[in-house]
Amino acid sequence: MREITYLEAIREAMTQEMERDESVFLIGEDIGTYGGAFQVTHGMYEQFGPERILDTPITELGLTGAATGAALIGMRPIAEIMFMDFTTLASEQLVNQAAKLRFMFGGKASVPMVLRTPAGSGTGAAEHHSQSLENWFVHVPGLKVVMPTTPYDAKGLLLASIRDNNPVVFVEHKLLYKTKGEVPEEDYTIPLGQADVKRSGTDLTIVATSIMVSRSLEAAEELAKEGINVEVVDPRSLRPLDTGTIVESVKKTGKVLIVHEAVKTGGFGGELAGVIAESEAFGYLEAPIVRLAGREIPIPYNRTLEQNAVPQVANIVEKARDIVQLKV
Amino acid sequence: MATEVILPKVDMDQETGTIVEWVKKDGEEVTEGEIILVIETDKVAIDVEAPATGVLQGISAAPGEVLPIATVIAHILEPGEELPQGPMPPPPTPQETLAEVPPSTVPATPVARKMAAAHEIDLQQVNGSGQQGQVTKADVVAVVSSPPATAPDGKVYAAPAARRVASELGVDLNQVQGTGPGGRIQSVDVTAAAQSPQPMPIEVQSSSEPEVIPLVGMRRTIAERLTASYQSIPHINFTARILMDAFIATRATLNEHAERAGEARISATALLVKLVSIALQRHPWVNSSFTDEAILLHRSINVGVAVALEEGLIVPVVHDADKKGIALIGTEVSDLATRARAGQLLPSEVGGGTFTISNLGPFGVEQFEAIINPPQAAILAVGMTQQEAVPLDNGEIVAKPVMHITLSADHRVIDGAVAANFMAELKSLLENPILLSY
Amino acid sequence: MEQEPKVKPKGKKKGITVGKAEAREMLLQMYEIRAFEEQAEKSYMAGKIHGTMHLSIGQEASAVGSISTIEPTDYILGHHRGHGLCIAKDADLNLMMAEFYGKENGYCRGRGGSMHIADVEGGNLGANGVVGGGLPMAVGVGVGLKMRAKGQVILSFFGDGAASTGAFHESMILAVLFKVPVVFICENNQYAMSFRTSDWTTSENLAGLAEHYGMPAVATDGNDLLAVREAVEEAVEYARSGQGPYLVVNDTYRWRGHSKSDRNRYRTQEEIDEWKSVDPIERFRKVASKKKWLTAKEADEIKDEGYARIEAARIFAEDSPEPTVESIEEGVYAP
Repeated sequence: MREITYLEAIREAMTQEMERDESVFLIGEDIGTYGGAFQVTHGMYEQFGPERILDTPITELGLTGAATGAALIGMRPIAEIMFMDFTTLASEQLVNQAAKLRFMFGGKASVPMVLRTPAGSGTGAAEHHSQSLENWFVHVPGLKVVMPTTPYDAKGLLLASIRDNNPVVFVEHKLLYKTKGEVPEEDYTIPLGQADVKRSGTDLTIVATSIMVSRSLEAAEELAKEGINVEVVDPRSLRPLDTGTIVESVKKTGKVLIVHEAVKTGGFGGELAGVIAESEAFGYLEAPIVRLAGREIPIPYNRTLEQNAVPQVANIVEKARDIVQLKV
Repeated sequence: MATEVILPKVDMDQETGTIVEWVKKDGEEVTEGEIILVIETDKVAIDVEAPATGVLQGISAAPGEVLPIATVIAHILEPGEELPQGPMPPPPTPQETLAEVPPSTVPATPVARKMAAAHEIDLQQVNGSGQQGQVTKADVVAVVSSPPATAPDGKVYAAPAARRVASELGVDLNQVQGTGPGGRIQSVDVTAAAQSPQPMPIEVQSSSEPEVIPLVGMRRTIAERLTASYQSIPHINFTARILMDAFIATRATLNEHAERAGEARISATALLVKLVSIALQRHPWVNSSFTDEAILLHRSINVGVAVALEEGLIVPVVHDADKKGIALIGTEVSDLATRARAGQLLPSEVGGGTFTISNLGPFGVEQFEAIINPPQAAILAVGMTQQEAVPLDNGEIVAKPVMHITLSADHRVIDGAVAANFMAELKSLLENPILLSY
Repeated sequence: MEQEPKVKPKGKKKGITVGKAEAREMLLQMYEIRAFEEQAEKSYMAGKIHGTMHLSIGQEASAVGSISTIEPTDYILGHHRGHGLCIAKDADLNLMMAEFYGKENGYCRGRGGSMHIADVEGGNLGANGVVGGGLPMAVGVGVGLKMRAKGQVILSFFGDGAASTGAFHESMILAVLFKVPVVFICENNQYAMSFRTSDWTTSENLAGLAEHYGMPAVATDGNDLLAVREAVEEAVEYARSGQGPYLVVNDTYRWRGHSKSDRNRYRTQEEIDEWKSVDPIERFRKVASKKKWLTAKEADEIKDEGYARIEAARIFAEDSPEPTVESIEEGVYAP
């Protein structure tokens, strides 16, 4: 099958859906002739014109609200927030409005919109352009939160998100944009709330999100050389969460390591640990549930400091080995 | 109809209001919208306007009174109207009923009360050290910081998986040694304890170094239990020499019968267990346990028979041996030993023993002393049967089959005379098995 | 005080075309609003209402005058003082009152209450609890309506309090940029909770602000129903014809406090009384009588009808069922 990048997969999903459905449009900063800060929308302005590619000045709150309002009357907007850090500026509309309108109006409204945003560190962009704030939104009933890892998942999940009748926060990772993978040309969707076992194993379950899935898979290769057989589960969507796949995996291996880039305290790992501890997998645990996540600091600028702020492959290998060898 | 003046709700979550002052007096004329009284909530003081024009009558709430919202506190009468008769109509039921705080009978300082509530402590259970027994903050602090009544005895450090497996296999986690970090019991430890523990694969480092047997599982259990037994129980030993010709003859008779019936042969152990159980029946102090509070004389006679295994020893139990026939005991002993070696014993088959027999006769041991298997109070060590010179009553010395048995008894329970009487009884039974039926 | 408009409408009067039937309808709506809110206050003070409410008594002309200019297929998006807007957009009074009472058959099944009454089907995209929260959404609705090109418009109501938010600035910019069919209507009732708006701006300055964004704007005497109607009519025509957004600032006043726990520390009784003397309902009655649209008797009958409808709605609401706890998680996500 043809291989394209994660970035191209996202662009292809949006393009195909805009060709298929006239109610879909894009709104965001520098997404027009500039092609988006990361070039995700490159060429789309030329194809669809200013009527459907709404380039805005710096108005995160305004453009997110505009997407919310348009969705409220049945359009399917895709808003781009240039960096996830800036979702803090958009969150009044996202959290107070988009997420709550349906419930607040007694189930008689819906807000079918997608808010796409690149998250994560590793580019030297420092404190204001590197955060992973997904769990802020996981905490809000009414929102869905999706974090694709592979180009294949990115396309299928984005198409499903656009067609979903609820506000979806679609979290991309900057470092994944240029990664390649097999992606079918045709239209396909991956249901939100369906985890993917990215690698099967028997000794340890690693539940990881976004780029940490890739790093965990690399770590699993290392560990395999030592005879340690790791299973890697990618939830793909954090809300709704496919608890069944995770629980079954933990029941099989009896040991679990949770890996994410976001700061550990208040991160999604706590939610995963809670889900596992509350489930029947509890009685299968041979070791404590361990989380490996971002340090309790903002993302620093210096390359060495930045790398040490979030889990790397070596950290995952070490932590996984400790759990499998019952050192914890 | 007279217009009601009610104590209005003016705040979210407001349940009561306080009358601050009446700006208008009873009997005074008021105009709709004019301020007639001031009320106060915990947030603000609020002016209350007259809901109608007329004469203010029947003020029923005085300044300082705290009332539920919507309570009727006065009326405004138009010319010709009269105050409604009888009691004021009850206020409409608020959607949330007012929380009735029952007056506490326990005298306590406000801080103590608040702290007790925060820690969910019943003030009734706190001894007050203040004036007239008033509970003070210090009293509550003392309760909060005191250790819980039940000490964390019997807490087992085990992985959740180990707990699940233990519950499924009926294994007592107290009897399982953990191999995880900090001695945490893993599920494999439970399986090992329940099944025959597989010999630990030992890597031989080099021929000059000792072979290392990790002190885990059954080995550790044996070490700990025997040490505890030998160090805490005052052992006293009694040896007797048994003439075995009648025993041998009886067994031969029984076996002839079995053969004719096409049944399994009767082992010496089976006959031994039966005879011991009868002796125990007649000497209940030997069939007992010592506890810190009391001595327990067991009504059941459950005789354990030690079985040697490659990696240790296990003691399956013949329950109610005194009530069972010799053939049945024989079948059971044989079955238990086989399954013990295969690691298939159920927890119930190794538990509940009241007395133990350890027979090293087959290994050629003449005589030995065993260590008591707690909480039992005694154990019988049985040596080999061999020809020995035996003086007859007429002074003649002949060779006869002889066996030495040694009773090790917990001297805290079993006095010397009790043990001696038991041994005499047992010797008599072994030398004259016919006395079984006495 | 003489009924002297605080702010005179800009531009020349075209002369309002209001017939008898329309005058009757508008007066009835104003009375329904007044009666609804008086009833709301009574029910609240009697402890029958859980929560809070924000009353717009005194602002009826702004709601009715503005919304009387649009079609049923057009939209409105409101603010937290929004009972009047709902009624002017032809809300079912029973469902509104039931919602206020938190009942299952209320507009929002008792989930939203006073601050969130909405009727998406009927073009009412909801009152909003966040000051300025509706403005960006109105721009988006405008974007959608423009794409659909069916000539629909949306009236986006907000208060003077929202005019100081960042959302206002961003929304004005995007609305002009996308040339959306949105008529922004600022109901300047002079106070953002307790903060006196005249300390930082006036209705005329707010209109001027919009002009700086590149949007036509006008300030009206918001207690003059016909003045409001005329200004908004022109704005709607402008928006509907595809020329872009428009701002109308209705200068008005809320008689009641911000919410029920307001002690009016920040304003004088004299000021309140002064504004009560320019009661929008009484002013319209005088005009209607002068223009021979309605006699005093007819106007009184309309008043009685309005109050009777609200009394019926109260009974409906009080007789309505409570939502069940079993249904508590319904409506979070759309299928």
